[in-house]
Amino acid sequence: MEKLLETAKKVCNQAEIYSIDNKQNVVSFENAKLHEIDTKFQSGVSIRIIKDGKLGFAYTRNLINREELLQNALNSLKGGVGAEYEFPFTKDLPKLNTYDASIESVSSNQMVEECGRVCDALKKTNGEVSATAYTYFETIRAMNTKGTDVTNKSSHFGVYSSISYPGSASGISRVSAAKKFETMPDDLINETIEFYNLSSKEVSAKGGKMKVLFMPNCIYALTWRINSGTSAKSVYEKISPLTNKVGEKIFSDKITIYDDPLNDKHPGARAFDDEGVAASKLNIIEKGVLKTFYCDLNYAKKLNTKSTGHGYRTAQWETDTITLKPTPALSYMRFQTGNKSFQELIKSIDRGIIIEGALGAHSGNIPNGDLSIGANPALYVENGQILGQVKDVMVACNIYELFKNVIDVSDTLYHSYSGLMPAILFDNVSVATKG
Amino acid sequence: MLDKLKKILTKIDADYADIRYEIKKDTVISFNGKELSQIGSNSTDGFVVRALKGGGFATAVFTKEDDADKIAKSVVENAKLIGKNKTKPVTLTKTEIVRETFMPELKEDPRKISIEEKLDITRKANEVPLSHKEIATTNVTYRETIREKSFVTSEGSEIREDLVTVSLAGEIIAKDSNLVQNVRVATGGSDGFYTIRNPEKNFEDRTQIAISLLKAKPVPGGVYNCILNPSMAGVFTHEAFGHFSEADIIENLPAMREKMKLGSKLGSDVLNIVDNATLANQLGFYKYDDEGVKVRHTQLMKNGVLIGRLHSRRTAAEFSEPISGHSVAEDFRYAPIIRMGTIFIEPGTKTLDELFATLGDGLYIVDAKGGQTAGENFTFGAQYGYIVKNGKKAETIRDINISGNLYKTLLGITAVGNDLVLSKRGGCGKGQMNIRSCSGAPHIIAQGLVLGGA
Repeated sequence: MEKLLETAKKVCNQAEIYSIDNKQNVVSFENAKLHEIDTKFQSGVSIRIIKDGKLGFAYTRNLINREELLQNALNSLKGGVGAEYEFPFTKDLPKLNTYDASIESVSSNQMVEECGRVCDALKKTNGEVSATAYTYFETIRAMNTKGTDVTNKSSHFGVYSSISYPGSASGISRVSAAKKFETMPDDLINETIEFYNLSSKEVSAKGGKMKVLFMPNCIYALTWRINSGTSAKSVYEKISPLTNKVGEKIFSDKITIYDDPLNDKHPGARAFDDEGVAASKLNIIEKGVLKTFYCDLNYAKKLNTKSTGHGYRTAQWETDTITLKPTPALSYMRFQTGNKSFQELIKSIDRGIIIEGALGAHSGNIPNGDLSIGANPALYVENGQILGQVKDVMVACNIYELFKNVIDVSDTLYHSYSGLMPAILFDNVSVATKG
Repeated sequence: MLDKLKKILTKIDADYADIRYEIKKDTVISFNGKELSQIGSNSTDGFVVRALKGGGFATAVFTKEDDADKIAKSVVENAKLIGKNKTKPVTLTKTEIVRETFMPELKEDPRKISIEEKLDITRKANEVPLSHKEIATTNVTYRETIREKSFVTSEGSEIREDLVTVSLAGEIIAKDSNLVQNVRVATGGSDGFYTIRNPEKNFEDRTQIAISLLKAKPVPGGVYNCILNPSMAGVFTHEAFGHFSEADIIENLPAMREKMKLGSKLGSDVLNIVDNATLANQLGFYKYDDEGVKVRHTQLMKNGVLIGRLHSRRTAAEFSEPISGHSVAEDFRYAPIIRMGTIFIEPGTKTLDELFATLGDGLYIVDAKGGQTAGENFTFGAQYGYIVKNGKKAETIRDINISGNLYKTLLGITAVGNDLVLSKRGGCGKGQMNIRSCSGAPHIIAQGLVLGGA
């Protein structure tokens, strides 16, 4: 890496090297039986160079041939991708507690036992049960010709539990996550069972405008649209409905949204983003008022502002980090919690549905904030009681309208398929059913 | 490379083992609006091993050759651990031993086209929408993905196969004060660079649709009878039925597996569905899957009755059904899983005019915009559509998302047109991406679809 940076320095104005090394092990149980164990050891290096205001970008899996990697980056300079920004000089970052060495000695056997334990508990229901446990640990390093050389080592352990309605493959699932091996808390397992039992009966319900509770596992359908609207990239491209609205009240005053990369209580905290810029807590929406947009180096320069430390190598579908250039991303988006548990939120529903999972969140008009998702499943509630599940339910809204109608945010953030999320209860949402 | 793979295989102490090494070469040229945001070619590589030992089957992936010994040991240990926990040992259905190098026939090999020419084509296509004042921005990407695969099994198969995929695709975003509408545009294929030449007309047509959507009405939520165009009906086939034909989806769901038994009547009498990745010159084409099985024409549904299924060697043995050659990985980062190849509704006899006359009142829904399946439920979006009154197209509508159910929706397909079209660009996520996922259909009538509205 150091040699590559030295060589690169001689042929361009600025250079940056980003490397990642990770190991993961995934144990999965299907129908309460051990089904698969999948192990991965992966590494990669990517380079960005800037010469005469133009960007070169290349990547490789193994740093066997440094010259070839650099040559690929130099070749891509010819395309003329503009790069007016400067790589940062970052030092004296806060020390975060992101890595627990015990993760490296968690055995497949331990994970099999944990999944077995979870499945045994879930089998108390008449549903079809599955569980997955994973270990993941990685080292990320970002260095550049300005003198930045920062490293982050992190460890992750998690368990998914799920009970499906027989014949449906749709059901209730929960997620736990930690920095080291930790069994899934009993209250989460019990909650999976309780929600399953309450919803296993199929009921029919009339559509119309009603209260809708989005559970943590489907809040991503909403946050994708918030991410789009509050990104500097969308502002630059003039497709954000929030352009020129900083300081304006756009959501209910119950909504405060911030990015929280430094909080190392949870796995995956970061002191720097994927381009080596220091990360910090950033308030995006405070009590419904839009405070700022988030940006990376590239869009900060285009908008004549400073990077907020949100350049991450991420894309909607592609997961191979080293093949991606940094782009603005809210990787640690959190909601300020409210005052009610979600059991209390359910009690406050006179008539409405709870969405446990979202289907088709990617196919609506994301830039415009439109959402039209299948509920998978939808739990029907009357007078604060879950009566059962309703099939063929679609929920449609525009998030800029939806977030004006917030009844409450749950008092806890939960690990979900897309980070730490609350449950949020909205009023007056359009629900289509066959009933 | 094959010799190196054979050497690694000797280190794996298993009843059966295979190893796949791939070099993946990507060329990407991307525009965000008028700005070029990425250009370049890169290659990455890695290994996938699988081992069957003591009745268990495990997989491992690595990118550094130095890790081979460690991985060889751990994959066998994991297989033994699975075996120990299984009441019924895993077996693999026998397959032909193959020693072959298969290179696809390409009309214009993209590797022989200069990056300057690719940039020029992409730029010109991108300029088409940007020349209209209603278009706020675009995202247009040329992507070329070449998988150079080497595969060796302990049974003696040695296969080299290349998969060459190109696409020119993106999003056209129109804006009128606070209303933003996006329309997707895509072309490409698996049989050469010619598939993306002269894209200007396609880009102009899509641009006009994006502009017209600024004036279109949102569709009210409710239940509708609909004509789906081939793109829409193709995605519908993929989401509503195809995923449940993948044996690994239903394998460990006893109630669903019972309902999906061969011989079950799931669709209306007019419905015939096939997966045929052997069709040359189609996006989904390949010869051998990622466990060395030759892909077969697989009839899945005949007159509404389920008669076939997509399998890996493991699931074929588990279900006691024939192997089909549908175990496919995204690339060297993944073990293969069961994937559709080229799935489509076989054409019927009705013309489009006859379908409109039969529909009477309802909706005409045009061009897919992604879908998702979870268990019996699925949703999929459409780019746009029209209200149909008395068999005639009326106002344009937008914000169309449909929800459906495996056991009900296929029974609601009451008529099938005669105009089959297959997709030119794929992209199906199932934990890993399949860029060659090809689907198609003629126009069809589907009754009683639930639309989310806006």
